[in-house]
Amino acid sequence: MTVANIAAPAKARVKTRAAKGLGVAGTYLLLAPAMVWMTLFLVVPMAMIVYVSFWTQSTFKIDSTLTLASWRTFFASDTYINSLWTTVRIWLIVLVTTFLVGYPTALYVGLFVKNKTLQTALLVVCVIPFWTSFLIRVLAWRPMLGKEGAINILLMKAHIISQPIEALLFTELSVVIGMTQIYVVFMVGPIAFMLGRIDPSIIEAARDLGADFWRILRKIIFPLSLPGVVVGAIFVSVMVLGEFATSAALSGRKVNLLGNIIVTQVGSLKWALASVVGVILTVIMGLVIAGLLRVVDLKKEL
Amino acid sequence: MESRVLKPILAVYLGLFLLFLYGPFLVLGILSFQQGPEGGPQFPITEWSIFWYQHILGLAPPSRVAPLPIGISLFRSLSLAFMTMITSTVLGVMSAQAFRRNFRGKTLAFYLIVLGMIVPGVLVGLGSALVATTTGIERHWWSTAFATHVVYTLPFAFLVMLAIFNRFDGSIEEAAWSLGASPVRTFRKVTFPLIFPGVLSAMLFAFTLSYDEFSRTLFSSGREQTLPLAIYGTFTVEIHPNVFAFGVLTTLFSFALLTVYAILMTLSVRRARRVAIQESIA
Repeated sequence: MTVANIAAPAKARVKTRAAKGLGVAGTYLLLAPAMVWMTLFLVVPMAMIVYVSFWTQSTFKIDSTLTLASWRTFFASDTYINSLWTTVRIWLIVLVTTFLVGYPTALYVGLFVKNKTLQTALLVVCVIPFWTSFLIRVLAWRPMLGKEGAINILLMKAHIISQPIEALLFTELSVVIGMTQIYVVFMVGPIAFMLGRIDPSIIEAARDLGADFWRILRKIIFPLSLPGVVVGAIFVSVMVLGEFATSAALSGRKVNLLGNIIVTQVGSLKWALASVVGVILTVIMGLVIAGLLRVVDLKKEL
Repeated sequence: MESRVLKPILAVYLGLFLLFLYGPFLVLGILSFQQGPEGGPQFPITEWSIFWYQHILGLAPPSRVAPLPIGISLFRSLSLAFMTMITSTVLGVMSAQAFRRNFRGKTLAFYLIVLGMIVPGVLVGLGSALVATTTGIERHWWSTAFATHVVYTLPFAFLVMLAIFNRFDGSIEEAAWSLGASPVRTFRKVTFPLIFPGVLSAMLFAFTLSYDEFSRTLFSSGREQTLPLAIYGTFTVEIHPNVFAFGVLTTLFSFALLTVYAILMTLSVRRARRVAIQESIA
């Protein structure tokens, strides 16, 4: 093991508690494999996407002559611009739905359930679906939402509707429903965590001073849970913006996200255009994360 | 008091929320018992049968529904998840150990590792496919896909270990050193047993994430499909209840995995407790 070769002299060890028996060189040696791995297999590929987005693309070949052609193709095409807006729209909608669906759950689990064991148990129950394949969870919505799906059958049996609702499957709605179910837990977890840390005496004090529950929720509970909301929003944003499987499975090819464009372009070996979309996606992602981090100072709050 | 009214309302809401989470899954489970091979992936159930389970396991008579290529892709996925688990846990423990002291570029190193879980899979997959095609490296699930999987799971393993080391009492190690134990011996006999529950969690994270990962694998694995890619292949064609039966089986498999994890965890906690008791007797 490397630890042996790089042990610091005995004296230094005893002298500083923080030294943990390793010199500075040792620290860097321990860190080196991970750094090399991340650089080679993450930073270099990401740089490559930027580089290739300026390459010259002919039908089935690509060469490294620099050009803006692929960028022009992207911004000149209605299909691609539309998919850009669709991505932003779906991202915003799913962000809102996961928040609206998730917050009451987090409120109950984090604030109203006082028993720690029950709290953990409820969170585990929320996480269990994650041990099923993501793709299976997406596919499971098909028999649920279809024209002859479970929801339509139940609604017709209950005589709420007389005709099956066809808009449930293979529409933007089905994509939003599917994504909300899949990603809502990433909202619930961080929010419940922050709510669980609220000192009950603060809420009691507010109540003693005559504040009603809505006021307490607005003025105390929500602001204190905001870091959780931001962390949840970052999780959801990152995952939704890079999505293509849910839209492929549930929209019947009607909803084309930027991710779907990348998949089709790579499928037809149009590497340059796929890279352009990749760069655009990266920029959006960076803006979103930077924007969310401005809402709260996570380092201070967590 | 409002909270007396609000609490039951929220409890009911939680019930509905869980129905939303589990509903599709219940339906999927029910439909997996659809009659085969004519029965479609929707209601009503024409006749209850286990045909699609037999179909998955290759026991059903040949029909127009092509069998899912499960055997070999399952093997690939499990091997890949295992390789990823070992590599990312080792790298994660090493990096977190390095992070116990201050050094120049610590923040940069932190962001570089964490970036792996932030960048969407489709971009990492695209990037590594670009690097592979331009450099002429052949893409395989055990080479390029493996590299991208570790990029994804390493941050999780690292963060878990970082949290563990945060609560770690370094004076125990110092005691070992002052008694003359070498750093390797200290790590093996003192540090590692204490962080073992964390290591198990990091391994569980890495394994499940890699096992289920497909957006990174899609572009970086070449022709040989892993299990998620085999499922993804069914998206474009007509789906049959065999996918549902398969979903039920994979879920059972995941629970088996989780049980193994729980057992190992309990054993390690119990062992730690026993050692502590023995020490207090001695």
